[in-house]
Amino acid sequence: MKTALPWRFPAMLNARTVALLVAAFLLLCYTGQRVEIDRMLALSGEAMLATAGITERSQVAEGLGTTLIQLAPIQLSSRREVSRIEDFDPERLPLFARIETVETPVTELNPETLRHEERAVHTAWLVEPFGYAFHVAAKMLETIEIALWGTVIAVLIGLPLALLGASNVTPHPAIRSIARAASAFLRAVPELISALFLVIAYGFGPIAGVLALGLHAAGFLGKFYADDIEDADPLPQAALAAMGAARLTIWRCAILPQALPQHIACTLYTFDRNVRMGAVIGLVGAGGIGQELKGRFDMYEYGHVGTILIAIFIVILALDLIACRARRAWR
Amino acid sequence: MIDVRIIDLSLRHPGGAEALANVSLDIPAGQFCAVLGASGAGKSTLLRVLAEITAPSTGSMLYCGAPSDTALRRRIGLIPQDFALCGRASVARNVMAVADIALWRSFIGLYPQSERARAARLLAALGLEETHLARRADSLSGGQQQRVAIARALLHRPAIILADEPVSSLDPATGEATLALLRNEARDLGATLICSLHQPDLARRFADRIILLDAGRIVFDGTPAKFDGDITRPRLLAVGQ
Repeated sequence: MKTALPWRFPAMLNARTVALLVAAFLLLCYTGQRVEIDRMLALSGEAMLATAGITERSQVAEGLGTTLIQLAPIQLSSRREVSRIEDFDPERLPLFARIETVETPVTELNPETLRHEERAVHTAWLVEPFGYAFHVAAKMLETIEIALWGTVIAVLIGLPLALLGASNVTPHPAIRSIARAASAFLRAVPELISALFLVIAYGFGPIAGVLALGLHAAGFLGKFYADDIEDADPLPQAALAAMGAARLTIWRCAILPQALPQHIACTLYTFDRNVRMGAVIGLVGAGGIGQELKGRFDMYEYGHVGTILIAIFIVILALDLIACRARRAWR
Repeated sequence: MIDVRIIDLSLRHPGGAEALANVSLDIPAGQFCAVLGASGAGKSTLLRVLAEITAPSTGSMLYCGAPSDTALRRRIGLIPQDFALCGRASVARNVMAVADIALWRSFIGLYPQSERARAARLLAALGLEETHLARRADSLSGGQQQRVAIARALLHRPAIILADEPVSSLDPATGEATLALLRNEARDLGATLICSLHQPDLARRFADRIILLDAGRIVFDGTPAKFDGDITRPRLLAVGQ
């Protein structure tokens, strides 16, 4: 027996949602062929088939293969000619280092006999088995320091921007618009571009890097903090406002404790991003590992490039583990 | 001492339901005024309008003959029905949130001795312990959270206390003790206490005056002695028809 339902329940999928999904799909199809997604899929598929040995050759597989193979073996040791090292003291060698003497035959014209004579020239080399690894570690540390200070500057600028730009804390809607526009402007200038200008202003080195990272990240921390502040549960805020609490008191007592986990997650992500971007802006001379990466890449020393890429990967992985623990502690 | 005057207050929800209809009241300073009514009668709405959390469609409120301003709001103590504590903040920070102290002190949690003493006295009188101070508000039980909300509302020595079902999460004995404390504090402060309640017997025992709401209208306004104690009759009749 069929019983009529007394109540109508709201539909999960209505005509509007279906129409929106179809429209989104059509839009993706249209833009997809403009950015050659179809070709990307075809080439990638071909590369996979070639790797599996099903088809003969693939342009993508060959291109990637030749460059990736050059990254190995990675370069860990360093080798320097002793005569070129200033104040070299053979009694005090660096850790694990040794001196290698290389004999090279040299043909010279003897001015007395006027004949070409062969004789051996001995050159001493300082070989450090992990010399280049230590060098990369020191450069990586510099990048981490640049990223850390970039994050500190981002928080110092981003938090006031967020307080002025959050509708529930801002003193006036006009100030909110100005603060939102300011953080959008900071976000709009990519680190790489601002680093180019800052390198001209401050010279090569970490200052330009710190400022470029800090200003850009201040833009998105200003936005993310403000969004988190606006999303905080309004009930405690309303209760305190009803009792005449000042805006900053409401922020301190009713918003900050709620938004703190998101603030911390955003800040840690900013730091993580700054480490990665720190490697990129080094390319334009703003200090750190990027400067080293660019130098080695330009000299076709792909073994060194491989070491640098692995170092960046290890640092990002370590930061991710630390960030996970920090987020769990502050949940 | 602040008296409250409510003039022709109405609130119509966007859907068309009338939450308050032409409510007018004169509440003298220092009076304990209990607002009774069945669920959905408009008790919480009235208190939310008085606390200026919800704006009325028409009508106004006067405090000592003047509309409210920031200075007056600082003299209001609000106990919301949902407690409205900041769950992730400690009990201490919640209670001290509206303490009348310098902003920087509240920022770093450096509360003056007098405020600490008052908070400790209120929380102890409400049956909480020192160990609760450092705990996060959302780690407490509903009844404990409600008592923290009461302490927060009383800490800054308010002249008007707006309490929205302040004993709803408490067992009868604790509820009675809490309501007695609320009345005694209000008396000591000379505060006007407007308190919505579900329990007619508590209202009759503690309040100076009872107001019964039904569908947003005042259907009874008088002394506890004249009140017959039936708050549910009008709504149940409506459902039964």
